[in-house]
Amino acid sequence: MTERIKSLLERTFDKEQAKFRRDVDWKPLLERFVAEGIGDEARARIGLEEMLKAETPAFMDGERLAFLRTVRQIPDLHTDAEMDARRAAGTAFGEKGVVFNLTADFAPTIRDGLGARLGEIDARLAKCRAEGDAEGVDFLENARLSVEAVLGLVDRYRVEAERRGLAEIAATLAHVPLNGARTFHEALQSLRILHYAMWCEGEYHCGLGRIDQYLFPYYEADIKAGRLTDESALEELEEFFIACNRDSDLYIGVQQGDNGQSVMLGGVTRDGKPAFNDLSRLCLKACGELKLVDPKINLRVDKSTPLEIYELGTELTAKGLGFPQYANDDVVIPALQRWGYETEDARDYSVAACWEFLVPGCGMDINNIDAVSFVGALDAALRILIQNHKDTECTFEDVKAEFFGEVQRRADALVRKYRHVEILPGSFVSVISTDCIKKARDISKGAKYNNFGIHGTGIAVAVDSLASVRELVFEKKLVTLSELVSLLDTDFAGRPDVLAAAKAAPKMGNADARVDDLAKWLIDFWGHAFDGKKNDRGGVFRPGTGSAMYYIWHARDVPASADGRLKGEPLSANYAPSLDVPVKGPVSVVRSFTEPDLGPVCNGGPLTIEIHDSAFAMPDGVEKVAHLVKFFIERGGHQMQINTINRETLLDAQAHPERHRHLIVRVWGWSGYFIELDKPYQDQIIKRVELAAS
Amino acid sequence: MTGRVFEIREFTLHDGPGVRTTVFFKGCPLRCQWCHNPEGQSAEIETMTRKGGEKVVCGRDVSALELAAELAVNADIMNESGGGVTFSGGEPLAQTQFLLELIPLLKARGISLAIETSGYAPAADYQAVVSQLDFVYQDVKLLDAAAFRRWTGGDLSVVLANISWLRNSGVPYSFRVPLIPGVNDDAASRGAFAAFADGSKVEYLPYNTAAGAKYPMLGRVYSLGQGRT
Repeated sequence: MTERIKSLLERTFDKEQAKFRRDVDWKPLLERFVAEGIGDEARARIGLEEMLKAETPAFMDGERLAFLRTVRQIPDLHTDAEMDARRAAGTAFGEKGVVFNLTADFAPTIRDGLGARLGEIDARLAKCRAEGDAEGVDFLENARLSVEAVLGLVDRYRVEAERRGLAEIAATLAHVPLNGARTFHEALQSLRILHYAMWCEGEYHCGLGRIDQYLFPYYEADIKAGRLTDESALEELEEFFIACNRDSDLYIGVQQGDNGQSVMLGGVTRDGKPAFNDLSRLCLKACGELKLVDPKINLRVDKSTPLEIYELGTELTAKGLGFPQYANDDVVIPALQRWGYETEDARDYSVAACWEFLVPGCGMDINNIDAVSFVGALDAALRILIQNHKDTECTFEDVKAEFFGEVQRRADALVRKYRHVEILPGSFVSVISTDCIKKARDISKGAKYNNFGIHGTGIAVAVDSLASVRELVFEKKLVTLSELVSLLDTDFAGRPDVLAAAKAAPKMGNADARVDDLAKWLIDFWGHAFDGKKNDRGGVFRPGTGSAMYYIWHARDVPASADGRLKGEPLSANYAPSLDVPVKGPVSVVRSFTEPDLGPVCNGGPLTIEIHDSAFAMPDGVEKVAHLVKFFIERGGHQMQINTINRETLLDAQAHPERHRHLIVRVWGWSGYFIELDKPYQDQIIKRVELAAS
Repeated sequence: MTGRVFEIREFTLHDGPGVRTTVFFKGCPLRCQWCHNPEGQSAEIETMTRKGGEKVVCGRDVSALELAAELAVNADIMNESGGGVTFSGGEPLAQTQFLLELIPLLKARGISLAIETSGYAPAADYQAVVSQLDFVYQDVKLLDAAAFRRWTGGDLSVVLANISWLRNSGVPYSFRVPLIPGVNDDAASRGAFAAFADGSKVEYLPYNTAAGAKYPMLGRVYSLGQGRT
C-alpha cells in the first residue's frame, strides 16, 4: 500500500470527510411537492436536482478520485400521509417504495459517456412527441434534466478543482462522465459519480456488480499501453474502494454497514467462458490490504474452479472481513434459467445487495419483498392440529402435512399481497439501466425481469423442531402433542426432562439422516411453493433460504420452539445451524446443508458458518478452509459466507468498544463493524456456533 | 472388540495436513502434570460436571467397524484435501489391539492415517501400529530420566527405545515438544531438544493456558496450577 493510500485510508476510517457535511432541511421542498400536486417522476428528478445543487464540491487531501457527500439528508419525496393513503387504497410497496437493491448497468455509460445517453434521450424524445406518447415525453424530459443535474455538479467540481490547482482531477472531470472513459482511472471516476448520483436520487442498496468484468477493458488497455502497472492499478482500485466507505454512514439500512455495496467477481462471461481475470485478483488483493467493510466482495465459482482461487478468497476470510461470499454458478445459473432468465443474462448474474441474485441493468426484481417464518408456520400448524384432532389420532405425517399446508397458506397470502406492487420512479437510475430510454419508460414501470424474492426464515430451527416433535411425541412418547404445545407457551416450565430431550434431539448440521431428511423435504416443498404464481408485472416469485433481518424480527413473534429454543432466543441467520447447538464440525455442517437440492430455493441465502479465528493461526489454515468451501460447492451448495470470529474478542468488544474499532463481522448478508451494531444483532453473533475452535 | 474414545473432533487444525478428523482415545499410562486432556488419562468412563451443574458422560465404547464407518463418512473431503484421520488421546497405543483392527478398515477406504503418541508403549505395540501409518507426531517431553519420572510418572527408556526404532523405520515423523513453563522451557532444555532431534523436524507447542480448566470438571486438582493465576 502506498503512503498516499495509507493516509487516505486512515483519514477516511476516522471520518475526516464528516467535516465537510451539513444538514439540509428538506421539508419546504416536500411541502411544495404536496401543495403543487407534483407527480412521482418529477418529484424524483427535482429531488435529485435540489440535492445535487445543495452539494458543495469538496476534496480530501491527496485524493485523485473526487466526489463525496456534503449534505447529510436526502430529500423525502412523499409524506408519510401520502404513502399511507396509497397503501390504504391497496397499493403495496417494497420497503420504502423507491428503487432499491439494484445494480445499474454502469458499463455502457462508462464506455459511451452521459453525453451519448443525452443524444439517445433527444432522439427518443422526438419520436415520442411525434407519436403523442405523453408518458414517454414526461419520462424522457425528466431523464434529460436528471442527467444535466449530474453533469452540473460534475462541472462545479471541475471548476473548484481547477481553482485549487487540482489539475489532474479537473482534467479527468472535463472528460468524464460526459464522454466515454479512455483509461482505467477515468472509468473509476465515472463509476464513482454514477454510483454517487444513484444514492443522491434516493435509491439505496446500490450494488456495483461485476467490476472485474466491465472495468477490465480499461485495465487491459492501460497495461498494454504501458500507462498502468499492476502496482498503480492496485493503487487506483484501493482509492476507489476507500471512496466506497466515505459516505456509507449516510446510506440507508436496517443497521450501520447494511448498505448493499456489493461487488461480484469471477464466474463466467455472457458467452460462458471463465471470467476470473487479473483484475479479479487485484480486487481481492486490494480488499485484503484495506480491511474495510466496503465494498462487499462476492466470488462466483463452480466445480472447475481451482483451489488457488478459493485460497485467494480465504485469505480475506482469514483477515476477518466476513467476505468473500461464494456463489455457485453450477447451481445458480440453471436456477435463474428455470425462472425465465435468458441464458446470457443468467450467466451475467450478480447479487442485489446481500445475496439475492440479480442480473445488473435489466433486473427490476424486488428480491426481498417479504419472508415466510418457518418457525411461526410450524407453531401455528401444531396449534391447528391439536385444536382439530385428539392427540391419539395424530401421526407425525399429520404434523408434516399441517406444516406444509400452513407454509403454503402463508406463501399464497404473500402472492395476493404483492400481486400488484408499485415502485417509485428514479429518472437517473433509469438512464443508466438497460433499455429504459429505448422504451421511454422509467425502470420502476418494469424492466426485463420483474421477479419478487421471498425469504424463508429459521429453516434450521423449524427442521430441528420437527425432528424433536417426531422423537419426543411419536417415538419416545415422552409427551403428547398437546402437552408439548402447552410447554412451548411456558418455556418448558416444570418439565426440564422434556427441555433436555428437546435439546438432545437430532439437529441439522451433524450429517444426521434423522433430521436431514426433514430439511430435504422442507426445502423441496418450499422450492415449489410459488410454482405457477405471477405478479402483475409478469414476474415470478423466487423462494430463498435467506433471512435478512427477519431472523431477529421473526424470533420476537413466536414462543419457545420444540427444538428447545426458548422464547426470545434468536433464530440462526439465513441457512445455518440453530444457535448454540452441538455440531460435530464444519464438514458435517456442509454435508447436512448440501443434502437438499438447492436449485429451487436460489433467490439467495447462504450457508453461514463461523470459523474460530485460531483456525488461521496455522500456516495451512487458509488451505484447509479453502478445501471446505470447495467441498461445499462440489456438493451442490448454492451460496456460502464465512465469519471468522472469536467469542472472547466479541465479548471484549461489547465491554470495550473503543479497543475494537476495526473489528468486522458478517451480520446477515453484509460485513459491518461489530461495535456499530445494535445489541440484539451483536448478541446473536456471539451465540453462533464457533466451528474449528482449537 | 471395542475401543474406548472420548472425543471425535472434525476439521482439526493441528494434527496433520489437509482436512482431518482426530480420534481421542481414552486412557493413558502417563500422568503428565500439565496434561490439557485430563479426561483422556483414566481408561474408565467418567462423568464430567460442567459449570452450572450439567453432567456429561465422557467416554464411549465403539467397535472398530462402527468407528471406521463413522470416520469414513468424511473420506471424500479427507482424500481430496490430502487429509485423513489422526489418532490421539489419551494414548492411542494403550489400545493397540483395537488399533490393529481399526487401521486396515480405514486403509481399505483409502484414508491416510497419523498418530500423536507419547511413545510410552511396549516396543512390539509401537512397531506394529506405527509401521502401518503415514505419519507420526512423536512427543518428546523431557530428556532426563529423573525429570521424566517426576513430571510424567513414566520410564523414559521405553520412549527412547521406540524413538530409536522410529528414526530407522522409514515412517515419516516429526517430534513435538510441549513447552511447559518451569519444566522444560529453558534455553538448556531447548538446546537439548534440538540436539536430540539431530536434524529431524521438531515442533515446539506453546503451553496451553487453558490446560487446567477441565480438572475441576472431573473433581480433580490441577497440580501445575497451584500457586499460578
